[in-house]
Amino acid sequence: MNRLLLAAAILAAFRPLPAQVTYKRIVNALEEPQNWLTYWGDYSGMRHRDFDQINAANVKTLRPEWMYQTGVSGAFETAPVVVDGIMYFTAASGNVFAVDGRTGRELWRHKYSENPSANRGLAILGKLLYMVTPEGSLLALDLRTGDVAWESRMVPSKSAYIATLAPLVVKDKVVVGISGGEEKGTRGFMDAYDAATGRRVWRFWTIPEPGQPGGDTWHGDSWKLGGGAAWLTGTFDPKLNLLYWGIGNPSPALSGETRAGDNLYTAALVALDADTGLLKWDYQFVPHDLHDWDACQSPMLLDVKWKGHDRKVVVQANRNGFFYMLDRQTGEFLSATPFARQTWAKGFDAKGRPIRLPNSDPTPQGTRVCPGLAGATNWMAPSYNPRTRLFYFAVRERCDIYYSSPGKFIPGQRYFGGAVAGTPGEEEYGLLKAIDPLTGETKWDFRYQHAPWAGTLSSGGLIFAGDEDGYLMAFDAASGKILWRFNTGNRLISSPITYMIGKRQFVAMPSGSAMITFALP
Amino acid sequence: MKFLTAVVRNRLLFCSITLCAGALFLGGALASPKLRAAYHKIRNSSDLTAGKSLFLANCAMCHGMEAGGGRGPALVGREFLHGSSDDELLAVIREGIPGSSMPAFAGTDEEERNIVVYIRSLSSPIVGGNAHPTGDAERGKRVYSGLGCAGCHLIDDAGSVFGPNLTRVGAGRSYEFLKQSLLNPSADITPGGDGVTVTTVDGRRVTGIRINEDSFTLQLRDQSQKFITFDKSEIRQVTHEKKSLMPTYSSLPPRDLEDLLAYLSTLRGVVKGGTGTAIRQLR
Repeated sequence: MNRLLLAAAILAAFRPLPAQVTYKRIVNALEEPQNWLTYWGDYSGMRHRDFDQINAANVKTLRPEWMYQTGVSGAFETAPVVVDGIMYFTAASGNVFAVDGRTGRELWRHKYSENPSANRGLAILGKLLYMVTPEGSLLALDLRTGDVAWESRMVPSKSAYIATLAPLVVKDKVVVGISGGEEKGTRGFMDAYDAATGRRVWRFWTIPEPGQPGGDTWHGDSWKLGGGAAWLTGTFDPKLNLLYWGIGNPSPALSGETRAGDNLYTAALVALDADTGLLKWDYQFVPHDLHDWDACQSPMLLDVKWKGHDRKVVVQANRNGFFYMLDRQTGEFLSATPFARQTWAKGFDAKGRPIRLPNSDPTPQGTRVCPGLAGATNWMAPSYNPRTRLFYFAVRERCDIYYSSPGKFIPGQRYFGGAVAGTPGEEEYGLLKAIDPLTGETKWDFRYQHAPWAGTLSSGGLIFAGDEDGYLMAFDAASGKILWRFNTGNRLISSPITYMIGKRQFVAMPSGSAMITFALP
Repeated sequence: MKFLTAVVRNRLLFCSITLCAGALFLGGALASPKLRAAYHKIRNSSDLTAGKSLFLANCAMCHGMEAGGGRGPALVGREFLHGSSDDELLAVIREGIPGSSMPAFAGTDEEERNIVVYIRSLSSPIVGGNAHPTGDAERGKRVYSGLGCAGCHLIDDAGSVFGPNLTRVGAGRSYEFLKQSLLNPSADITPGGDGVTVTTVDGRRVTGIRINEDSFTLQLRDQSQKFITFDKSEIRQVTHEKKSLMPTYSSLPPRDLEDLLAYLSTLRGVVKGGTGTAIRQLR
């Protein structure tokens, strides 16, 4: 009898691993809403779940279920990945954690850097997790232990680059982008690595060389220091096999004397073939940007009815204060509408090139321009509810005085080309906005006391959103009525996610150095 | 005479660094490689331009657009209380001054040095010094007491925390700024000293300093130094007072005013708090 039990135990021990995350599972992520499989929750970036457990009628009873203290100081900008009951997330200084999603009990943790830079999260495929380190390594980690399976360097050691984003798994590749380019005079790029071996498969330089298409949009050698970081995760259309990625601003940020021209592909959205990294199309939001208005915001993929026809579009609430809709097959400009105070563009030509207003460039004496340097929105996640057909996002209402000074390039030093200051007598504030993406029309908004750095989540007819004063809040998605709030005790700089374990729905939000998870009693 | 004294003092003070290089250049001689290097540095237009932009963006709100002083001290034509050498000035820029409203500047080495270059370039042997108080500080202390200033202000451990702490006000504020603060307190209200009047839905009116505010609540300190929290659901209106809550002392007899200013200028004590206070940043 004992032998039989022992044999059974051994068999149990050698049973296959829990069902692994495959590319097909990620493509169909919305068919398993209990999990959160990518940085944005699925390839489209909608951040919507068709749950109804936590809803407008009962959300007032939502309460903290567990809190996991990482003990890590520094910006906690992660979005967790949740797979089959386990939550994986990162924190600053190369920290990575696995905790039980129901109880918050730690399963393993590792620290892979001494650099205090932020990290925004993980990707998952098969038995591996993928993360970048501030030093510019891409790590593949064993899902069961967090141990390193392989490491690939994206950049040489001790370079001016850093890496912060959550990788995106596409088929058998891991796609990443580099950070730091627009501040230290580096040249941005995106890479794809073989998910199994870590071998680099392709690289897309965000700044073309002379002789390449777009290379003539840079004066002289300025392309070598051109910036164009690709520091936030993009989205992917499996049917079109296209990656959509927002590209950073040019360098030096606030001074353009050395880089005459449009400076492609900075402040642009690029669509790349996922297999080859080749450019399919691009749209530049701000040619020759001078305000640090990178395009590293969520490029959300929606299928809409546009002028009576079905249209596959990509939408983006851009840092420059406009909400854009483009055809995602061709890059055709469809619309742009302002969603915040802006003083730089009076409109767009037929191809979508902005028509600048005078006196909106930085000057040595200072020029007041809206939006401010941090943008009218930024990395905080927007969301879309297919039932209300509204796009929900956080708006920063702030203008800045922009000062330009060309400066000189010193390797490794900040190369910003100027500075900014707040506008005396103007208090910044924020808005949670619900807009119709087809018209840009605001359906409702909620005013925040301070300009926010946290994003949104759509679930159960609710919009969860965080603010700069530490509140996680729930709003009625249709009316905008606030239904619940909880002060987490620290400014919120990431975006909430939701998942289910068994029959219970959870909402998770990083705050300070703690992961806080909420559920109904 | 005071003007000349100040000029001579400044020339002596800065002679070992960049100013002296400028003066020597005007005289047609650059005596040493060190001075030549300093001169070339200060004349490097990109350093100066970058330093000026950084100064305008980060320093001018307190030290004035021309660095002539404001709620922060003047940085031209006077002896620096903190930062008599470039290295000391760099340290002040990097670390701020604990216990004062001078914050640390989080920039690169190059940016910090460019600010120093710019600040040094502003000072010139021919720039005049600041006006200085001529009154009787001892008598001014009695004026302070007689006017009841301690009802709102703190000096060391004595007084109220309702208004700005004056323990170190003589080190951080110029004579002109202090004078303006007494004659026209609304001309420049210290950040974090926002006066608000809260009117509640049941008609109650409470005036105080806004300590903190978020989308749902507001915290203020009333004149009795008590913290009060309001839920915004119980607030009908928040009026941001355009005028300072401090009364004007424009009708003060001239002698009392000068003596009071002399007394305030002597206040260079140590504020015991750290660099972070609830008032410094509304969050």
